[in-house]
Amino acid sequence: MNWEKMVTKLLNTVIGIFYIFLWTPLIIVIVFSFSTHKYGSKWEGFTTKWYGKLIANEAVQDALIRSLIIAVITMIAATIIGTITAYGLYKFQFKGKPFLRTSILLPLVFPSVITGAALLVFFTRILHIPLGYPSIIIAHIVFCSPLAVFIILGRMQRMDWTLEEASMDLGATRFKTFKRVTLPVLLPGIMASAMLIFPWSFDDFVITYFVAGVGSTTLPIYVYSQLRFGTSPILNTIATLFVVVTIIGFFASHFFQKLDIRK
Amino acid sequence: MTNLPNEPDQSDVVNTNNETNKIFPFEIPLFIGPMTIIIAVFVFAPLLIILGISFIKSGIYGDLIFTFTLDNYKAALGSKYGPVFYRSILMAAQTNIICILIGYPIAYNIARFGGKWKNMLLFLIIIPSWSSYLIRLYALKTLIGRKGLLNTFLINMDIISQPLEILYTQTAVMIGLIYAWLPFMVLPIYASIEGLDQSLLEASADLGSRPFKRFLRVTLPLTKGGLLAGSILCFIPTVGEWLVPQIFGGSKVMMAGSLVAQKFMGVGNMPQGASLAIMLATTLILILYLAIKFGGKDAMEKMI
Repeated sequence: MNWEKMVTKLLNTVIGIFYIFLWTPLIIVIVFSFSTHKYGSKWEGFTTKWYGKLIANEAVQDALIRSLIIAVITMIAATIIGTITAYGLYKFQFKGKPFLRTSILLPLVFPSVITGAALLVFFTRILHIPLGYPSIIIAHIVFCSPLAVFIILGRMQRMDWTLEEASMDLGATRFKTFKRVTLPVLLPGIMASAMLIFPWSFDDFVITYFVAGVGSTTLPIYVYSQLRFGTSPILNTIATLFVVVTIIGFFASHFFQKLDIRK
Repeated sequence: MTNLPNEPDQSDVVNTNNETNKIFPFEIPLFIGPMTIIIAVFVFAPLLIILGISFIKSGIYGDLIFTFTLDNYKAALGSKYGPVFYRSILMAAQTNIICILIGYPIAYNIARFGGKWKNMLLFLIIIPSWSSYLIRLYALKTLIGRKGLLNTFLINMDIISQPLEILYTQTAVMIGLIYAWLPFMVLPIYASIEGLDQSLLEASADLGSRPFKRFLRVTLPLTKGGLLAGSILCFIPTVGEWLVPQIFGGSKVMMAGSLVAQKFMGVGNMPQGASLAIMLATTLILILYLAIKFGGKDAMEKMI
């Protein structure tokens, strides 16, 4: 009994350290974004002036708008593709299905450097797609749709499918049933997935960096370009913005999931 | 182990549905077509192009000379790039083992003793894992840098007199890797422990096994899927890491991903980069294949 208690205590300590390790850097950056200190690496006094400077900074404005446009388009496209693919994978049995499932996993687990480099060569040497919005959006759809597939597949496994069967028994075609019955029932799950895709695209750096070309600075690329100058108050405010976007996305996703359960 | 009940297979569900609802041949491509095209055109085709480029020569100014050569692979395996490659795999393996050693007890404790705090504790892991990777690394750098809070704190406490030079060492890169990938180890393991059938543990206890043995003989084998899934999510991206060595290693510590990035950026040497990328990709696909083969479907489903 005593031995078990000791192990539990040890485990709890490890958990405590883990959470401190995970959160301290983020909390420090958020706190320092409100510090008056010139280099943003010390607490001196409370101020919100850096946020004013952030909004007034034209390079940041430009990068932020670009990142938002890309994330919105990616979110919509990846969610649509993810939904129909998940439905196809869940409902149908076809040749090469295990292969397709594993292949969809590739863009998710592959090192971003390989995906980025391969896409860069493909865009510039083969397809001659201009680097900038088109190349970034295609790349984002490539690594975001697989994520949508797996999130929505997870929802489908918990869904009540009798409604769909009823609709088809009553003579509606599968396509009509999908549009009129399945989709509305799945909608909260789909929205929940979209809310997770948005930060996933908004946050991406490595792949975007490869395919962005010159002049298409997204917000993460801007952050990277400023990194070599070390810690700065502006970077702290941008970092805070990123964490806030993720938390909002996550809460929105959670909200839609709750909606799903209530139905 | 084979006698234990498994979760119902997904293919069973599909089969029963197929019996009641007719499928027309044109319907399947309608649903899976777009994704198939994306995977074929934007995942496999670019990899094939890279494979092709890896066998040709590079000019002095980074242009491509279309003659067949194996030199890129010789260089990739030779003394110039080989050591970086092996070190990346070694570092990724170390990261993975450390992540398992820290991650498993954490996932276990949250799943078993989390109680009403469970969701909150999980939420606190998911938020950082979902936040921008670059931002998290920036935040960590702020903390462990020369003038960072860690050094300031330790000096003020009189524990050290000189600031610790953590940045730009292999240790810094390891800390960065663990910081970046640990959440992705905890979550799948948590899922597998959460899905554990409690009656099996009770049965084992009734039959007189001690807690430690119970863990080793029942819990651990049954959560193998989660462990494998976590390892896939952690190990594969780590081997090809570029950003972490870039930020925490400077030019001193390089990993396989750094080499690939270096060869593709600027003037670079595209065929050399391509051969490195292909070697990296082949290694990782092999590992992924083995993991899925031995972990089975369980690992796949625990992953997302």
